[in-house]
Amino acid sequence: MSLINENKDFGVIAELIPNNASVIDVGCNDGSLLEYLKEYKNIDGRGMEIDQKKVQLCLAKGISVIEGDADTDLYDYPDKLFDYSILTYTLQATKSPKTVMQQLVRISKKAIISFPNFGHWKIGASLLLNRKMPVSKKLSYSWHETPNLHFCTINDFIDLCEELEIKIEKKGDLSNKKLSNFSGKNFLDSYFNEVGLFLVSKD
Amino acid sequence: MSENKIVTLAEDEPLNLDGGGSLSKFKTAYTTYGKLNDKKNNSILVCHALTGDQYVASDHPITKKNGWWSMVVGPDKPIDTNKFFVICPNVIGGCMGSTGPKEINPENGKEFATDFPVITIADMVRAQKLLIDYLGIEKIFCVTGGSMGGMLVLEWLSKFPEMVHSAVPIATATNHSAQNIALNELARQSIMADPNWQSGNYYHSDKKPMKGLSVARMAAHISYLSKEALQSKFGRNLQDKNSLDYSFDADFQIESYLRHQGFTFVDRFDANSYLYITRAMDYFDVSSSNNGSLIEAFKNTQSKILCVSFTSDWLYPTSENKKIVKVFNSLGLNVSFIEIETENGHDSFLLDEPKFFEAIKGFINSTFENL
Repeated sequence: MSLINENKDFGVIAELIPNNASVIDVGCNDGSLLEYLKEYKNIDGRGMEIDQKKVQLCLAKGISVIEGDADTDLYDYPDKLFDYSILTYTLQATKSPKTVMQQLVRISKKAIISFPNFGHWKIGASLLLNRKMPVSKKLSYSWHETPNLHFCTINDFIDLCEELEIKIEKKGDLSNKKLSNFSGKNFLDSYFNEVGLFLVSKD
Repeated sequence: MSENKIVTLAEDEPLNLDGGGSLSKFKTAYTTYGKLNDKKNNSILVCHALTGDQYVASDHPITKKNGWWSMVVGPDKPIDTNKFFVICPNVIGGCMGSTGPKEINPENGKEFATDFPVITIADMVRAQKLLIDYLGIEKIFCVTGGSMGGMLVLEWLSKFPEMVHSAVPIATATNHSAQNIALNELARQSIMADPNWQSGNYYHSDKKPMKGLSVARMAAHISYLSKEALQSKFGRNLQDKNSLDYSFDADFQIESYLRHQGFTFVDRFDANSYLYITRAMDYFDVSSSNNGSLIEAFKNTQSKILCVSFTSDWLYPTSENKKIVKVFNSLGLNVSFIEIETENGHDSFLLDEPKFFEAIKGFINSTFENL
């Protein structure tokens, strides 16, 4: 799922990460985000990727990568091993988003999680007007072939964080590359952000 | 092509062994490929498996076949000898020129036979370290090997972490399971049950324990293949006949194949070596000198590591290889892991597996570029 916009999203994610941090990118794709963060933030990066072709690409780039599954293989890391964990556009494709989130905040001091916002107005409109499952740039699969299992809205995500006692520290608005402190649910975000991006943590 | 070289090591002080006792002035037979560069930072140590030897990429002097990893090591191969200086020693206890049971004991001028001390994987690694010292290499760029070779890699990472820049342990384990030990015991018992074994003193006899060694190899060979591979290769096909013979001849192709594997093996391998090396594998537990803690065993390791397993390998399955990855992860090491999908079983690391080759090549070349 290469839904990520390298120019936009990488920069916003990089802004959240201090220099020399240790980072694991879960669902790291071909390793390009890790490469970007290595170049601009000199991170000590690790990847996890389920698709072997992409694992091979990472290996050839010199990125340390585990062929593994976010649902089952995050248990192998000790508590707070990393400064940051990153999960971009993967949460909705996991079998258990809840346990994956719990694992992310366990293995890292802070987690950056992004996902397509199913509460976006266009999606609502598509359902309301066309009675069709939405297909867009960010949600590029038809309902019968999608690897996505658990769509959620920004508000659903915020509720889940509350339930899991995960603290949301910052939110990102990828359309205008803005980061801001989180201060509760917000009508505008949930309607107009195509992507939810949050910095979360749990002590 | 590389010539076989033999060097005498531990000339000044003996190599002390885990089981007590020592070896002094022991021989190591080895081959090298490519050239050591001026910075001496391009060496790759290849560790062979149980029945492997130093002929990693050159024709075997007895079987005349290609080296056991000639698909991996050579010019423009995944381990490119245009770029790297590859070293492959025969382990001590082996039978291709390194000191082992069939070599002459300098103390009495006779073959060691079963007077050879029982050795461990760590002893083999300490012996290899003396060879690396002799070659004037302070830091090996990469140590790699599959199966028992992988155990040697793990022992290198544990015993001499400062000497290993990167490592690729393949299809291996941190210790032998009860099942692994059981299979080796079956092999040893079949050798020792052969009357021609003569308590190991068969070197000057006309009768050699060929049947016992052959059966040992047959049993082991089954463990190197997967059920699926055996089934698709042989099924219940008959060997050169259309109906059953109602005898104990090799009716089935699989029987004939295994017998062939057994017969050809005895020409190139020493029965006593088989006893000693399988024993070393059974004794292997990389955590044993650290109170059973794998974390302790690798606490000084800083190397960049790629672990590889194969889906159909039931001898050293993915679960065992993942155990190694988990330990390296816990220590925050730069570890990568890849599981190659194949039906070729444990033997996959010796066969034509393009995805496996791609992974090794990608890891080794990118690691070298970032040196």
